[in-house]
Amino acid sequence: MPELQLREALRAAMTEEMERDENVFLLGEEVAEYNGAYKVSEGMLAQFGPKRIIDTPISELGFSGVAIGAALKGLRPIVEFMTWNFAFVGIDQIISNAAKIRYMSGGQLKVPIVFRGANGSAGQLGATHSTSVESIYSVFPGLKVISVSNPDDAYGLLKSSIRDDDPVIFCESEVMFGLKGEVELGKDRLIPIGKARIGREGSDVTLVAWNKSYWTAMRAAEELAKEGISAEVIDPRTIRPLDIDAILGSVAKTNRLVIVDEANPFASVASEITYQVQERAFDRLDAPILRVTSQDIPAPYAKNLIEAYVPQVHEIVEACRSVSYVA
Amino acid sequence: MAIPVEMPKMSDTMVEGVLAAWLVDEGAKVSSGDVIAQVETDKATMDLEAYDDGVLLKKMVDAGGSVPIGGLIAVLGKEGEDIAAVLAKYGSGDGASASAAPAKAEAAVMLSAETLAAAAETPGDPTTLTLPADGGRVKASPLARSMAKEMGVDLSAVKGSGPEGRIVKRDVEAAQSAPAVAPAPVAAAPAPPRAATPSEGDEVRPNSSMRKAIARRLSESKFSAPHFYLTVDVDMEAASAFRGDLNVLAEKQGKAKVSFNDLITKACAVALRNHPYVNGSWSADAITLHQDVHVAIAVAMEDGLITPVVRHADRKGLAQIAEETRDLATRARDKKLAPDEFEGSTFTTSNLGMFGIAEFTSIINPPNVAILAIGAIRNVPVVKDGAVVPGKVMTLTLSCDHRVVDGAKGAAFLVDVQKYLEQPLTMLL
Repeated sequence: MPELQLREALRAAMTEEMERDENVFLLGEEVAEYNGAYKVSEGMLAQFGPKRIIDTPISELGFSGVAIGAALKGLRPIVEFMTWNFAFVGIDQIISNAAKIRYMSGGQLKVPIVFRGANGSAGQLGATHSTSVESIYSVFPGLKVISVSNPDDAYGLLKSSIRDDDPVIFCESEVMFGLKGEVELGKDRLIPIGKARIGREGSDVTLVAWNKSYWTAMRAAEELAKEGISAEVIDPRTIRPLDIDAILGSVAKTNRLVIVDEANPFASVASEITYQVQERAFDRLDAPILRVTSQDIPAPYAKNLIEAYVPQVHEIVEACRSVSYVA
Repeated sequence: MAIPVEMPKMSDTMVEGVLAAWLVDEGAKVSSGDVIAQVETDKATMDLEAYDDGVLLKKMVDAGGSVPIGGLIAVLGKEGEDIAAVLAKYGSGDGASASAAPAKAEAAVMLSAETLAAAAETPGDPTTLTLPADGGRVKASPLARSMAKEMGVDLSAVKGSGPEGRIVKRDVEAAQSAPAVAPAPVAAAPAPPRAATPSEGDEVRPNSSMRKAIARRLSESKFSAPHFYLTVDVDMEAASAFRGDLNVLAEKQGKAKVSFNDLITKACAVALRNHPYVNGSWSADAITLHQDVHVAIAVAMEDGLITPVVRHADRKGLAQIAEETRDLATRARDKKLAPDEFEGSTFTTSNLGMFGIAEFTSIINPPNVAILAIGAIRNVPVVKDGAVVPGKVMTLTLSCDHRVVDGAKGAAFLVDVQKYLEQPLTMLL
């Protein structure tokens, strides 16, 4: 299997879907002439021309609305946000229109659209450019939310998202665009939305983590293995609809759950998973469910502080020890 | 350190209890499980049991006084011990008052949790704090609770290794692999279900902890261990003469008189040495064949029964078995047994012969796998050498747990017991 960077996997998925369906097009800031702020769309303007690879002004509310209108008229737009932080300017279009029109029209209208971009912190970018948005968009029925951790999942899930008839929020990561991994290419290589992946099998504690926190969890699992604690790492990949059965199945085996979520803790995806697991697997829990999240403050700027702000390997290790009742 | 005795939450709706009567005086020794007072709640008058061994150092409330849940009722400890620290913790020298607000009661409960934790950490402290005083609430993880329910493990007897004594998975697993024998009742049926709405004039007696233990353990035994029963008649002519001779000697030497029951204890113990499965115990993974022979004897009490254990009965002489059994039975009736005196049996006998019962079947006393039900010695005609003559016959019925003891194994054991009793000298060899 070829080894691709995350950005190359995303590009391959978009290119193949645009070749497959002429209604698919890409729009966003710097996606065309500049070949993408993070070079995800490199070469796509040359291949597809300016009608299908469209540079937009810095006006997220405007181009999100244009894309939703296009989707309502039968096209299948891919909207690239340079980062999800900038999408806050356009969030009204996403939550008031994209998420709700199918419902409000009694199913007469649909909004097949993918909003994609970099999510979460990426070093010293300050408080306003470091937000993890999965929980924010997961609040709204009508949106699907995907957050990927590796090139293969990015490839297969982006293709599924483009073909999906509902609006999909697709979360990537600035620090992972260069991440390499084997990708199983194929015109119809679709990874189903709503299916988790077991990243590492284990028997003592279940770790749920996604996006770049998945890798922090995997490093923690390695540390734990040295101490004789066998951690199972589950990457839900899709946040909504959540593959809760995969998590429950693992918890039934390990009786312990630690969730790693780069968002701020209050009303986070970690909170929701905790709720669902205690509701359905209360009698299988041998310890309170713990979560490791970013600190409950706006992201700091200083290097040492931003590093301490996001979930750390040692925090995950400690949480796993705690739920295993190991001092 | 001194141990506070608090007003427990005895019913869901109880907020305070009236100390109806003291049953123990200041300065008296009490053991865990002793009823030290009676408490009137909104529902009923209930026994207040001590959870610890010690001396009742101080009563904090007079009979008739009311105390909120978690309020201090009394202080236990060693004789002459300083109780100032306990009194200070409860913020008063004269117990809790009837007007204490619920918030105060809660504070008292929290203090008591600290006290308990401190006591549990003190090395060498003779008290074992298995039941927290906040109304008997057991802290356990949800998994531990469901496992305990499935396995029939009594969580109140399990010591938690998690934070603040929380019972977790590994504690239940440990308790399951080394089952603790709680007061083990035998040969009694579980209490019948109580009528949901008693009619006027009915007497409603809240279940004592012993009654609950009997109900739980015997149901567990009867529902999970597949019982089968073997019955044999024993000619007690020789045993009767043998016992007569022995007791002439015993009297001369000032030793305890040997009862028929003591002979049966000895016969069972000697036979168990040769029948390891009958002296075993069951768990899902393995059968344990116990090396030592500890014979428990069911003793009736006013509110139930208990099974004190004659340890190493196979190695003890009849006089010693007689003396120990008499002592254990007396103290059992007075509720003065220490837990290690009624725990750890490998086999149990139950005797209803004194009531004239000819024969009966017993429920196995877990974790044993067999129990012997002993009937009365009856003067009946028997056939000997082709002639009908007066005889002394006793019927023994062995209940076996088929998971461990198969029919042939149980029969071989019971026939050995019969032989030892019919030729008593052989059990001395």
